[in-house]
Amino acid sequence: MGLLLPALALLAASTAPAVAPTADELARLSFQNDLLGKQLVLAKGKEFYLLLDPQGGTLKLMYRAALLQQYTVNGLEVGVPRVAFKTRSDLEAWRGRVWENGALDPPRELDRVEVQAPPPTAAGTEIEVPVPPTPEEKYPVPHRYHVRFAGGLSIEIRPPGSDVAQGFWARLRGSWSSWWADATAAMSSAPTDTVRLHLVMSKQDAESLYRALPPGTKLLVLPAL
Amino acid sequence: MIGTRYPLAGDEPARRRPRTVSVVVRPPGRRFRVVVLLVVAALAALTFAAAKGTGYAFTPAPSVGAPPPIEVPGNAAAAHKLQAKLQTQNKQLAAALAKLAPTGTYIVVDQTQNRLYVMNGPEIKRTAVCSAGSGLVLMDSGSSRKWVFDTPRGVFKVRNRISNPIWKKPDWAFVEEGKTLPKDPADRFESGTLGKYALYLEDGYMIHGTLYTRLLGRSVTHGCIRLGPDDLQAVWDAAPIGTPVFIF
Repeated sequence: MGLLLPALALLAASTAPAVAPTADELARLSFQNDLLGKQLVLAKGKEFYLLLDPQGGTLKLMYRAALLQQYTVNGLEVGVPRVAFKTRSDLEAWRGRVWENGALDPPRELDRVEVQAPPPTAAGTEIEVPVPPTPEEKYPVPHRYHVRFAGGLSIEIRPPGSDVAQGFWARLRGSWSSWWADATAAMSSAPTDTVRLHLVMSKQDAESLYRALPPGTKLLVLPAL
Repeated sequence: MIGTRYPLAGDEPARRRPRTVSVVVRPPGRRFRVVVLLVVAALAALTFAAAKGTGYAFTPAPSVGAPPPIEVPGNAAAAHKLQAKLQTQNKQLAAALAKLAPTGTYIVVDQTQNRLYVMNGPEIKRTAVCSAGSGLVLMDSGSSRKWVFDTPRGVFKVRNRISNPIWKKPDWAFVEEGKTLPKDPADRFESGTLGKYALYLEDGYMIHGTLYTRLLGRSVTHGCIRLGPDDLQAVWDAAPIGTPVFIF
């Protein structure tokens, strides 16, 4: 009898219905599944993709679920176009969506050089081959660049200190032209970037991303839940 | 005597004196100038403010996002059932995703920056300076053939591994040196050029050594990945046949 009562109590406790999950819990679980499903589709695809995890402070370049490069994101700001303080787009739904066809702006030009084969030379004659530039020489990184995706989202990156070497007037001209580009973009009838994500990255990571990003990359921003 | 004086012969007719209007142009008063200045300043301030408020306004991204709401069943039992279903889905999706990710060692090549990484999961085991495709286009006017020296992007596998490889020189190797194509196939074989090891990927692309170590870090190759002797040894030791190689 002494053992029976605690056993019954335990049985009763185990069969009693647990507290029903809240709508919020279920919504989070459903959204997590949605994100996992999207990552799975990306991983099965044939395009390179970026996974931006603001909570974890990382931007990962992936291909077929393999991590290729990881960049540290020190901060994330969200920007929307506005004209005379009037916002022209909403901030909704940029997270958890797959953005496609990412392209660098200004583009990283491929220095495609056509070489004509030399005429036949006598055996043993050495042909002088010019030493090609290093990646740093070949692809100078602008003081501000964007990775622009189809559908209206762009990533803005300003490598810190990249304009230090420039003089005062060059910097002024640069900031003026940046403002002008932003203002005209914001005022256009259909702004190119409805949402801009400004990623704060180290100079090294920012430059590395500019030089390495493959064309047509996709992006998925993982929200913190 | 008061009377009317009639004009005499010598008198000139009386002329009507023209009415003169004197307009005095005064310089604008101080008050007026102040008003104009204020209006101009206000317009300038408005323009500046409008310009300041035009463009892109950035605010820190919210750290936590609210998930979109879903339809939740009214009774507790159905809610539990839905939760269980979602949890099962979650596990299945996570497992499927993990299955796609490479396990063990894999190689990553950043062809733009000429870097090769030996990876194990998310961990970088070794970083090597390499050389990737130059992107040059070689035109042979004689045969009107052309070759593009790009390193392909994508995922490959180590298909074969050979130590002390002998290079069978393709046509472009002769053309670019201004040499005529050999008639004897044996004249195409060259030893030492590829270094100590060659890891064959696909379509003739390889990871191999080089005689031109001073050019490592620059895009100089015809599409293959060149490594220095120490890094080549490390890659050889780490990458058996079947190792995935990701090139971007």
